[in-house]
Amino acid sequence: MKHIILIATANIVFFAACNGSNNQPKTGNDTVQSAQVTTSEKPVATADQQSTSSVKEIVNSYLKMKNALAGDDDKGTAAAGDAMVAAFDKFDKSSLTADQKKVYEDVESDAREHAEHIGKNAGNIKHQREHFDMLSKDMYELVKTFGAGQQLYYDHCPMYNNGKGADWISETKEISNPYFGKKMSGCGTVKEELK
Amino acid sequence: MRRTNKWLLMLLIAFAVIQCIQPARNKSGQVLQTDITNMYEVPADVQRVLKSACYDCHSNNTRYPWYSYIQPAGWWLAHHINEGKEELNFSDFGSYSLRRRISKLRSIENSIHDGSMPLSSYTLLHRDARLTEEEKRLIIAWVGGLRD
Repeated sequence: MKHIILIATANIVFFAACNGSNNQPKTGNDTVQSAQVTTSEKPVATADQQSTSSVKEIVNSYLKMKNALAGDDDKGTAAAGDAMVAAFDKFDKSSLTADQKKVYEDVESDAREHAEHIGKNAGNIKHQREHFDMLSKDMYELVKTFGAGQQLYYDHCPMYNNGKGADWISETKEISNPYFGKKMSGCGTVKEELK
Repeated sequence: MRRTNKWLLMLLIAFAVIQCIQPARNKSGQVLQTDITNMYEVPADVQRVLKSACYDCHSNNTRYPWYSYIQPAGWWLAHHINEGKEELNFSDFGSYSLRRRISKLRSIENSIHDGSMPLSSYTLLHRDARLTEEEKRLIIAWVGGLRD
């Protein structure tokens, strides 16, 4: 028993000693951390990734995601989220004009994060849909700026978000609601045709 | 008896050694240009709620509890703070693109609305971070106003 008390005391002394010396470098750390956050969002383009890159791939992963959500498939949705992150990584910005680049980077900063979240949230389709709602706005902007090379439809669901409504992009004229899935698959209207 | 003592001693030594690996503290003390309070109107009552319920993990200034000095509790906290700040940092809100800001505000509303934030593991130890219905409404109305 005596031993234990002795050791415990030694421990406290030791603890106090090393605690003091380790507490010093506090400042400066935060700026470094936030800088890292912003830089890590930029995709790192490597040599072999540059060849196959277009908005099409990003949009395709979005459409896959939309179809998975319409079928209440959280795992398929997550896989499409991961695919979208990969598509962003592959995208080659070098051919863009300055204006296009601005739009692209603005969209990417937001959309990439939604895609990551959707990828990580298999098992929580409600949360995936929340991010999908925000992601759809980004995709609309992207398609409007770059075109998608195919006929697309901008659809509206008036009921999602407690009646505030939400939009999505579809490749079919027929409505297949990703926000409510099979429960209310036909709910929604086409509000714009995109080309 | 001797055997147990030996194990106990080793455990205590290990415990003592890990105390020396203290994670960096998230406490900058300075207000960045990009702080949310420099960007938007943050009423005093909203600010109070943000400080007591959000800032510990979503800003550059954490109010550390006493057990944060004891490892491995401090490591666990540091991990949470890093994750929280990566997700949303009120101290650096202005560095986000407009699009991202709007998304963040939406996400704040969503997570307050369905109670996924503040984390239940956090409110368990920080009773003042539990939001009343009134406070939830306050925050939701505030972010809703900013978005428009």
